[in-house]
Amino acid sequence: MGRMKKLLDQSLRPLVIYAFTVLVISIPVYFLIVDWIWENELDKHHHAIREKLEKRLTRLSLPDTAVDNMIAALDKVQPGFSFSETAAPRPDSLYTVIRFDSFMNDREQFRCLTTDIRVNGKLYRVLVETNMEEIDETILAIAAATVFFITLLLIGFIYLNRKTALRIWQPFYDTLASLHTFRLETGKAVPLPASDVTEFADLNASLDSLMQGSLASYRQQKEFTENASHELQTPLAIVKSQLDMLLQSQSLDAEQMRIVEQVYQAINRVSRINKNLLLLARIEHAQFEENGQLALDQTLAAVAAQFSDRFENNAVHYAENIEPFPIEANPVLTEILLTNLLVNAVRYTPAGGDVRVHLRGGKLTVSNTGPTALQAENLFRRFAQASGEHAGSGLGLAIAREICERYGWQIGYDFADGMHRFSVRF
Amino acid sequence: MKILIIEDEPGLAESIGAYLAAQDYLCEYATTWAQAREKVEMYRYDCILLDLMLPGGDGIDILETLKKQGQQDGVIIISAKGDYENKIRGLHAGADDYLVKPFHLPELAARIYSVIRRRNFGNHNHVVQNELKVDLLSKTVTVHGSLIVLTKKELDLLLFFIGNKNRVIAKSALAEHLSGDIADMFDNHDFVYAHVKNLKKKLSEAGYGNYLKTIYGTGYKWEG
Repeated sequence: MGRMKKLLDQSLRPLVIYAFTVLVISIPVYFLIVDWIWENELDKHHHAIREKLEKRLTRLSLPDTAVDNMIAALDKVQPGFSFSETAAPRPDSLYTVIRFDSFMNDREQFRCLTTDIRVNGKLYRVLVETNMEEIDETILAIAAATVFFITLLLIGFIYLNRKTALRIWQPFYDTLASLHTFRLETGKAVPLPASDVTEFADLNASLDSLMQGSLASYRQQKEFTENASHELQTPLAIVKSQLDMLLQSQSLDAEQMRIVEQVYQAINRVSRINKNLLLLARIEHAQFEENGQLALDQTLAAVAAQFSDRFENNAVHYAENIEPFPIEANPVLTEILLTNLLVNAVRYTPAGGDVRVHLRGGKLTVSNTGPTALQAENLFRRFAQASGEHAGSGLGLAIAREICERYGWQIGYDFADGMHRFSVRF
Repeated sequence: MKILIIEDEPGLAESIGAYLAAQDYLCEYATTWAQAREKVEMYRYDCILLDLMLPGGDGIDILETLKKQGQQDGVIIISAKGDYENKIRGLHAGADDYLVKPFHLPELAARIYSVIRRRNFGNHNHVVQNELKVDLLSKTVTVHGSLIVLTKKELDLLLFFIGNKNRVIAKSALAEHLSGDIADMFDNHDFVYAHVKNLKKKLSEAGYGNYLKTIYGTGYKWEG
């Protein structure tokens, strides 16, 4: 086993938001820093110029008129300088100004220093100014650069995240795919892919023990159902036979006969439920292995014929439209499926109603008259029947579904035009 | 007629015995595998009722022993195992019939009657009840020598009644007999009325006495 890796908390979203925020904040900060450096340098430069100017003019030891001329010349010729005589000294002033510059023919920003110099005892007011980049243009340039890098960063994040996340989460997807194939009914746990990542190894181990646990309790439950049903058969047989004996008694009166009849009905119902529970258990145990070639149409006709008494007795109109269709399945299970669908139809059809059986192109539809639609999601569950008036076992449709699932047939229910319709696609 | 009831549940064995005794059958009992084996080896029976799950062994062994010895006793398996594999196994081993618990006693009696009849009458298989005669091979029924036409279900019903002479039969037992597998899916057994009524009508029209009685609307009795 290789070195265990810790799975990092992978999430792109907070990273992106964080990077974006930092970079946006950086725009004004960059600007302030650049601006401060620039102004600082210019101010130092201006002070130096002032010192040099004063020293050099003083060192020349020119007569006053020459100084005046030179200053006038400088004032006119030297860009960025303007001189004026002043009477009283004033403190230096540093400032930034944005104004129209006729030479550049544009708005320009200037850093300025107004200061005094004294030459030959005469006081001059000097303005030194240097053209610098405008604030807005600086911000714009910085913002543009930042946005460019944000974009670059995001594209990189998304690409890298997608690439690494896919690789990192691959074992998870493998596990998920395996889990999807897990079916309790098969009685087998699905093998999960091995992983050298702690969390995934943990996950797979937990899932495996979960599956084993479910399988064990499923097995136990099935065995319990089967054993319980088997155990019930004998006492049921005793009750039934004792009832048959009771009936022979000469002293029974009409009321007692009625009671016996009701006990018969109840015991028959218990027998029926028990029989169906056993059948379900057997289907789940994957008994009924042998399949054979069946003419579904013939099986269907034979099953339907058994119901002729019931149709007649319940005053139900029966109509069938059956086309030949061969299938491969266990004959017993097929018969049970068809019987259960028909029993269901007959049981819930009111007197004078219709039962129709259609088999065309591999699709069987059994429809019967009914007042309102049933709850489709509960219909095929065990003991989920809607009302207590009808004494079904509550298992007929559950068995039908179980059989269909086994062969991959699709069983469905819908309600239209006052008819319940149960369909099976073979 | 001698019947051996091999059944370990005393309650069930007792009611089977009591029901059959009133039909003039002579019943003997075995409650364990060893006891059953001993009786089967020492005595001959017209029909043996055989439970498969016995204390001490599998009932199928007893059936196989019988067949190996070439004995002609009729055998009806009565078992809680209702699956097809067990039925096929039982019938394959030579049982005449297979009845799944829980069953109605009249159903058992009718099957015993049918097994004994098949074994004892060979090709001349007639049942005579007073002025009624049933030919089981040609499936024809005559009353006073004149033929009456019965449907398959009516004939079935008639034989069922004859096999349960003088016994009260519950409607649900008749329904189960008549419609086989689907009978126990329904609680309403009213369709039995229609068949019984038709049978009675056909018999009385042919001049047969009123032997078939209805007991309080819920049971039937064939008096003979």
